[in-house]
Amino acid sequence: MENVTAARALMGASLGFHIIYATIGIGLPFMLMLAEWLAIRTGNETYHQLARRWIRPAGLLFAIGAVSGTILSFELGLLWPRFMEVSGALIGLAFTIEGFAFFTEAIFLALYIYGEQRLSRRMLFLCTIPLTISAAASAVFVISANAWMNTPTGFRPINGTFTDIDPLRVLANPAWAHQAVHGTFAAYVATGFAMAGIYALAMLRGHISEDNKRALTLSLAVAASCLPLMFISGDFAAGFLAKHEKPKLAAMEALFHTSRGAPLIIGGWPEPATEKVLYGIELPKLLSLLAHSDINAVVEGLDAFPPGTTPDPRLVHPFFDLMVGSFFLMSLAAIWFWWLRWRRRKCPCDKWMLWAIIIASPFGMIALESGWLVTEFGRQPWIIQGYMRVSEGVTPGLGISLVFLTFLIIYVALTAGLLKMLLWPSSGKTGISAGQGEQHVDP
Amino acid sequence: MLTLENLAAAVLLLGLIMYAVFAGADFGGGIWTAFASGPRAREQRESLFHAIGPVWETNHVWLIFVVVVLFTAFPKGFAAIFIALLVPLVIALIGINLRGAAFAFRHFGRQTGREVPLIARTFEISSVSTPLALGVAVTSTATGRIGFQNGLIESGMHSWLTPFTMIGGVTGMAICAYLAPIYMTVRTTGELREDFRRYGMLAGFVLAILTTAEIPVARFDAPLFAERLLSTWATLFVALAVTTGTTTEVLLWRRKYRWAQICAAATVALTIIGFWAAMFPDLLIGQLSLSAAAAPRSALIAFFSVIPFGVLILAPSLLLLYWVFRGEPNPDLPIVKR
Repeated sequence: MENVTAARALMGASLGFHIIYATIGIGLPFMLMLAEWLAIRTGNETYHQLARRWIRPAGLLFAIGAVSGTILSFELGLLWPRFMEVSGALIGLAFTIEGFAFFTEAIFLALYIYGEQRLSRRMLFLCTIPLTISAAASAVFVISANAWMNTPTGFRPINGTFTDIDPLRVLANPAWAHQAVHGTFAAYVATGFAMAGIYALAMLRGHISEDNKRALTLSLAVAASCLPLMFISGDFAAGFLAKHEKPKLAAMEALFHTSRGAPLIIGGWPEPATEKVLYGIELPKLLSLLAHSDINAVVEGLDAFPPGTTPDPRLVHPFFDLMVGSFFLMSLAAIWFWWLRWRRRKCPCDKWMLWAIIIASPFGMIALESGWLVTEFGRQPWIIQGYMRVSEGVTPGLGISLVFLTFLIIYVALTAGLLKMLLWPSSGKTGISAGQGEQHVDP
Repeated sequence: MLTLENLAAAVLLLGLIMYAVFAGADFGGGIWTAFASGPRAREQRESLFHAIGPVWETNHVWLIFVVVVLFTAFPKGFAAIFIALLVPLVIALIGINLRGAAFAFRHFGRQTGREVPLIARTFEISSVSTPLALGVAVTSTATGRIGFQNGLIESGMHSWLTPFTMIGGVTGMAICAYLAPIYMTVRTTGELREDFRRYGMLAGFVLAILTTAEIPVARFDAPLFAERLLSTWATLFVALAVTTGTTTEVLLWRRKYRWAQICAAATVALTIIGFWAAMFPDLLIGQLSLSAAAAPRSALIAFFSVIPFGVLILAPSLLLLYWVFRGEPNPDLPIVKR
């Protein structure tokens, strides 16, 4: 494998892996905070017990998130030293703030998870507040660095180096606002649906208890209240891309030719050779309307930009459709659930309803992963849009393929171990709540 | 010389010290899990396991802090180090991941009544390999072999695989093995405490031998470093490290654990400061100075304007964490065992 291909594959695999755990690390603290708050507010202990049951697997997932995040911080240097050499000073501010946020998250998570016997209930609840805030803040600031790669500002390029750096303009780059909102709420949706799926599955297997109903309702409340925000921020993002990231929008919509009154193409396979989209459904003039709020507006296609500077629509358009499709699928399930809930004034648990939730449950994570792929593939061939190509940022070091292979094995092993741990039925001792009995045994 | 880049270097140094003093002890816990012996081997492992639990993730963040400070304040140095030291850093990274995952798996397994020996071995082996690789990486910056040619970094085995860096790697491991048992002496009682006392004293001797051996090896392998080690500041810090190290051994001998713990942490901190005093004013000795590696002024100013806010949040949070999980290592038992 060529160095740059291996480096991209490794970075992609690492991010794709890390995103799952990072997402849970953002979404779950919010759920913990809600549950603990409800427990204190209503005096209903089951909410507290619910939260305590989540943290056992959560502790495991958080730990994997922390170490896989370390891989990424190292890979910035190991794979992209040329990129970091010019941009480390610029995006470093975002990473520094993110670092402090991550520190705070780790501290309060440890206090919450391990502190059951040493902290009061009120204190446990209070710990979830900085936990939730710092988890969201880490997402928001790390996204700033990514947004800067899409819309680089706050510097002057002179002979391959960046001078006159304005770190605040780098941090608050144009794409930051919508990417941060869209990306952070996506984590709440993904976590909410994933957890709803687990509880729906338990209920479908006949464990219809008040606890499971409460947990299902809470997860879907979080997910459903964030879904409209996803739609609004997504629409805003499309309008933004139409102005600031035109090649990305063209690739997302598989629009080869600049056109007035451009159609929205749903599905289909874009073929760069013939510059046609096979088997796609065309909705006339809709893209112009969505991008510029005018059905006859001109939307730039891929042909509006010099060859070799635009992304490959085959890698962008399908993932974009997958993301949008996931949104509608989840919305349907959520609307159905809340309609029944409102009509009956209690948690619905019909078989078909539960099935719908189970089917929709992985799509939060799928949408998040494909949204990330859209924004990354959509920036190609650039690592810093318009200033540095991916191939110019890569390490000159040899043997990156070997490193890629090594980490691929580690990711597979970690995933296998994780699945085994979480799915393998435990041997009877499940009821240990505080672990007092089994530890400190005499030899 | 109070320049911005020197201040940034001080922050970097502080991060490295915090990582060594806190996370080092967690790795040390893994090392002594592997080397636990005697009639109470099982109890030693148990108490180490419990002590690591609540704090290792937080302690680990210091490494990410170091990496972030390095690329924010010294982007050129970051690029050079990560190109030249690809191999030791990848080895460290593998170890960090396997250690963290193995610990989390083990902890989860315990809670659900499962023990997997393979996971325990992975935890032990990666606790040994990671500080070894990181020790190699850090001491590689002192050999002067990370070279530039026409402004480009040369990468190859020769830049990090030398006797000096090998001893540096083992020293990294010894630092971890030194801190863990000494920290445990204030958190255990009776015979178990005596075991940790012995381990601490033993590791102290090994650490002394290794750091002493580095000096003659440096004369051949890292001549510029050896020369600068004789500068006033470097000599002062090394002398202080020797003093606190000796004091720690005496305190352990006399069973003054509370003071021994502080003294041991100071020994490690002073050893690292001594190393950096001999590196000053370079990031890569003789090849890349701190000022040449530093980020533009505006970036450093932005960095320093964030630091106070970070410290304001971080310091009390850290104190709360260590205060809550002080005393008895098992967080599910009261702080003082009755």
